[in-house]
Amino acid sequence: MAEHATHDQHAESHESHSTRFYWMIGAILAVITAVEVAIFLVKDTIGHELFLAILFILSIAKGAGVVMYFMHLRGDARIFQLVFIVPFLLAVTLCLGFLTIFSHHVGIAG
Amino acid sequence: MSATSHAHDEAGQAPLVGSLGVDSRKLGLWAFIGSETLFFTALITTHLIFYARTKADLAAKGMLEHMDPKLYLGIDLTTILAAILLASSLTMVLALAATKSKEWPKFRFWLLATIVLGSAFVLGQVYEFTHLYHEGLKLAPQYVYEGETVKSLFGVTFFVMTGFHGLHVTLGVVWLIAVYFKVRRFAASPENPMDVELVGLYWHFVDLVWVAIFTLVYLI
Repeated sequence: MAEHATHDQHAESHESHSTRFYWMIGAILAVITAVEVAIFLVKDTIGHELFLAILFILSIAKGAGVVMYFMHLRGDARIFQLVFIVPFLLAVTLCLGFLTIFSHHVGIAG
Repeated sequence: MSATSHAHDEAGQAPLVGSLGVDSRKLGLWAFIGSETLFFTALITTHLIFYARTKADLAAKGMLEHMDPKLYLGIDLTTILAAILLASSLTMVLALAATKSKEWPKFRFWLLATIVLGSAFVLGQVYEFTHLYHEGLKLAPQYVYEGETVKSLFGVTFFVMTGFHGLHVTLGVVWLIAVYFKVRRFAASPENPMDVELVGLYWHFVDLVWVAIFTLVYLI
């Protein structure tokens, strides 16, 4: 039974793509980086809030692309997803928490 | 050793399967990557806090131009560095694909390309650091710039954060070189696909950290 589970997880962890697929993902990530830089160059004309929103969305998309397809986390065993996603969510929460605490506007440690 | 640890799968790998039913080395590396995520988040958060707290003060003294790499150097260099690291992630995943299909000439080409791109990134960062240091940004909480004492942790947090990333890239290049020669020497080893996969995971993580640093430090 345990051996059966092992085989299942190995089958799951060996999801592979063609090299053409990787080139496509690489091209998409390159385009996202180019758009990020282009938006940085015109940030004075689009407003700070919109600039930040677009930049965060693009960066999250880029990071997700690397993790899901280059690191193959999308089709990999759930235990790998768990040991990465839990610390990642903790890290994001801590970052936002500390930035709020030390903010000049609403922080309590300013 | 258990019987499963000797079992070879279809790709010719010899997975060290633990009680969780996955390769122990890969699980260990993912756990390491999880801890590294927290480590780099701490460095990035610290930098963002001190940058926000000293930005107005430095701008009032007319010193922000020399303190902030994106104002001083522009983002041209870091955009090139981001493109280099992104390209190296692509070459890394192509090297892994070549390993799984046992196309060794392709594997050697793509892994060497990854090594070259990684080395180019490190050299670019050395250039940036040297430039910033000579212009006055120091790895110290207090220093004299053009006759005036500057009290700021900006330089410390910037150099520590980007320096640790550069150190990770450097160690990654050393690991890539080691795997290149190991696979070349022992081409028939069933461990090769997992060896390449592990260094690939580490390399993609290093790229992922740069995605965050590039956005949060250089663009915002």
